[in-house]
Formats: sequence, C-alpha cells, structure tokens
Amino acid sequence: MRTRATWCLTLLLAASCSSEFPRDPDRTLDKIRAEQRIDVGLIAPLAASEPKVHALLDRLTQATDAVPAVEAGDAEPLLKRLEAGDLDLVVGRFDKKTPWAKMVTLGPALRTQKAGKTELRLVPVMRNGENAWIGLVERTARDVAPEAQ
Amino acid sequence: MTARYPPHVEAGIARGHRLECWTIAWIATVVPLMAVVMGSSQAMKTVWIEDMLGLIPPTVYLISTKLEKQAVTEKFPYGLARANTVAFVASAAALVVTGAFLLIEALMTLAMREHPSVGTVRAFGRDIWLGWAMILVLLWSTVPSMILGRMKLPIAKTIADQVLHTDAEMQKADWMTGIAAMGGVIGIGYGLWWADAAAGGLISLSILKDGVTALRASAAELVDGAPRELENDNVAAEAQQLKAVLGEMFPGAAVRLRETGRVIRAQVAAQPPAELLDLAAIWPGEPDRAWRFAQLSFVPPAGEQTTLPAV
Repeated sequence: MRTRATWCLTLLLAASCSSEFPRDPDRTLDKIRAEQRIDVGLIAPLAASEPKVHALLDRLTQATDAVPAVEAGDAEPLLKRLEAGDLDLVVGRFDKKTPWAKMVTLGPALRTQKAGKTELRLVPVMRNGENAWIGLVERTARDVAPEAQ
Repeated sequence: MTARYPPHVEAGIARGHRLECWTIAWIATVVPLMAVVMGSSQAMKTVWIEDMLGLIPPTVYLISTKLEKQAVTEKFPYGLARANTVAFVASAAALVVTGAFLLIEALMTLAMREHPSVGTVRAFGRDIWLGWAMILVLLWSTVPSMILGRMKLPIAKTIADQVLHTDAEMQKADWMTGIAAMGGVIGIGYGLWWADAAAGGLISLSILKDGVTALRASAAELVDGAPRELENDNVAAEAQQLKAVLGEMFPGAAVRLRETGRVIRAQVAAQPPAELLDLAAIWPGEPDRAWRFAQLSFVPPAGEQTTLPAV
C-alpha cells in the first residue's frame, strides 16, 4: 500500500511540473485570457490615483493580453462581488489585520502608509483559491513594488 | 536513586532518552518551518498541529524516566513509576480532543466550500509557488519521523514502555500523514479545492485514532487493568503465561496481575509459602524479560478474609 501511494504521489508530482500548474478551481485566469478582460474594482477614492496601481494593471495587461475594465466603489460591495466571482481583482488600502484577510486573498503591498497606530497597505485582492491568478498578480505586484514581500 | 533494572534495560531506557531528545530537536525545526509555509491550507494546518502534539510523548517520556529514578519517600512509598501514566492519559485526552476538533473543522471547510489560497514567495530572485515549499517541508516532517519511529519501536519492546511505543507507532505511521498532506497540496495545485480539506480530515482521523489508542492503553493501566500488549489492547501473552504458572503453583487461588509503569505485579489469594520465592525462576517468558515480574504478594483467600481468629 505504501509503495502504491508513493508511486501515485510521484506521478502526480511529475504531472504537476507543467506550465499550467497551479490551476484555478473556477478558471479565473483562463476566463481572463479567453475574454481578454480583467474586471477590476478600485476602492475609492485613493486607489484610483495611485501610480503603482496603474503600473500593476499595465503589467497584468501585458501578461494576459486582457484589458482592465475598471470601476471604483466602496470596499464592502466590491469585495462581496469579488467573493462571488463577479470581479477578478480589487485594489485598495487595508489594515494588516483586516478581517477580510480570511475571506479574500491579500497580495503583496504596493505601498505602505502609517496613519497613527494603523499601518495601511495598498494591496491587490483576489478571490480565495484561484491560485494561478493569485500567483500571477503576486509576481506582478512584486515587479511593480520590489520592496513588497 | 536505585539500580532498578538489568543493564540491557537501563541501556534501552538511555537510548530511548537520546532518541526522544533527537525527536524534540527535530520537531523544533519542523514546527516553525511549517508555520511559515502553511498558508491557508487545512491539511498543512492539521499536520502542523499534529507535529506540535508530537512533542507530548517525547516530553512525557523524558520527564517520566527522570521521575522513575526518584527514590521512594514517605509521601510516595511506591515511587513515581506511574507518573508517566497520569501524564500519558492527559496527553492522550489532548490528542482525542484536538483530533475531533480538527476533524470538525475539516468537515466545516468542506461544507462551507472554502477554497484554500496558496500563493507565491520570491526567493533568490525567483517566484516559487508555496505548494512546492510545503511539499519540501512535509518531506522534512515525514522522513526523519519514520526513521526515528522505526528506531524506537524495538527499544520500546525491550524496556516495555507504553509511552515510547505509542510515540514510535505514531511516528512510524507518519508516512500516511505526509502523503495525505502532499496529496492535498498537489490537489490544490490541480484546482481541486476540496482535496486539501479532505486530506486535513484524513489526518485528523489519524490523530483521533492515535489518541484513542493511547487513551485506552494508559487508562487500562491507571485502573489496574491486566497488563496489555504494547501493540494492542489484548492482555499481554507473557502476563497470561505468568498467571497460568501462578495458578499451577497455587491451585484454586485467585491470581490478579496489574502493570505499574514497565513492571508486572501479581497478587495471589492464598497462604504465602514458608520460604521466599525467586521471582525470576517463576517467570515463564524470555529470561531477559524476567525483570518485568517485580512483585508477588499474598492476600488471604476470599473465604478467610472475614474470619476473625478465635479468642
């Protein structure tokens, strides 16, 4: 049984060394490439005016051949729509300990700003579990803001 | 301090001590690594908690072997050989509770259809999917564990140590935990969001099973149950043989055996013989395990217990 399990795991590991790994359960990245559109929500008002946000969107356009369809709005409705899969990406400022961190995936900080005791981080936010898309956004965010972790 | 056991048993206890020190040192490297890479993976979180719980048996072993060496005192006239049993009951209960909690959490994750995010990390100028780092850490958490478990198993049998044996069995079975968790991580990579929580559920079942096994073994000793096999809950074969021999020596007498720590104590309901008995000569099993038979005591037969001597 142990040998069989080890072989199965080795085969899975070998198969996973393809360029399409990891994959998105709900195919977000495939959909973006196929429809050539990234549905983006910018949390108003600051995110829209950030040069690094524009740089991020430009680079994502280059990587996917998709055009961002941007809309600005309040955090709560945008994040709810992201969770539901109606948006692909949200960008906004969040506290490091935001309760949203469990419901969505926060990417590397494009910029960090101290406001009193609070540290606000400008981050791209993705839908949980869409790991191919999350990986692409994270890589792009690090390229845009090399100081990002 | 007393010289308690034959040299080969003392050597086994010391070797067990060294292996448990190695185990603690190794787990101390695994736990922080796991915490760094686990992300939101349920399987990784479960393995992480399992690894932390894995610190309990070696710690209990180290403490109990130290306590076992304590000389008897007025307050503890039988010594502290059973201290490990008390500690082991507590740690087994912790395993059961944690296993059940993690199982419920995994089921809830499945029911809520929570999709685990496994992002990337930049190292040496390259972006690496964290799943690969998880698999490396899982290999580090699994392979040494299996080796240590295999090394501990024969020692546990030699020194008749329930704590060391349970620890060895848990570690030996770690390959299943490792493979389940790796399967969960690879499943996430293939876009199978449920694979991670399913793996977490399987691993928590294994924690629960370890806990129940340890609880049954330790509770049996605590309530003066007959000596058990290390491998299962059956009465130990050597205890059955000893009972049979004592039954032949004292026909019709009730013979009771119990285990305290690593030794067996027998009680016979019969008049004691006039001469002192050599316990090693009575022991029916392997001669190098005769040290296990530590005490033979006599109580009045049932019918005589209430009979007062005539005045």
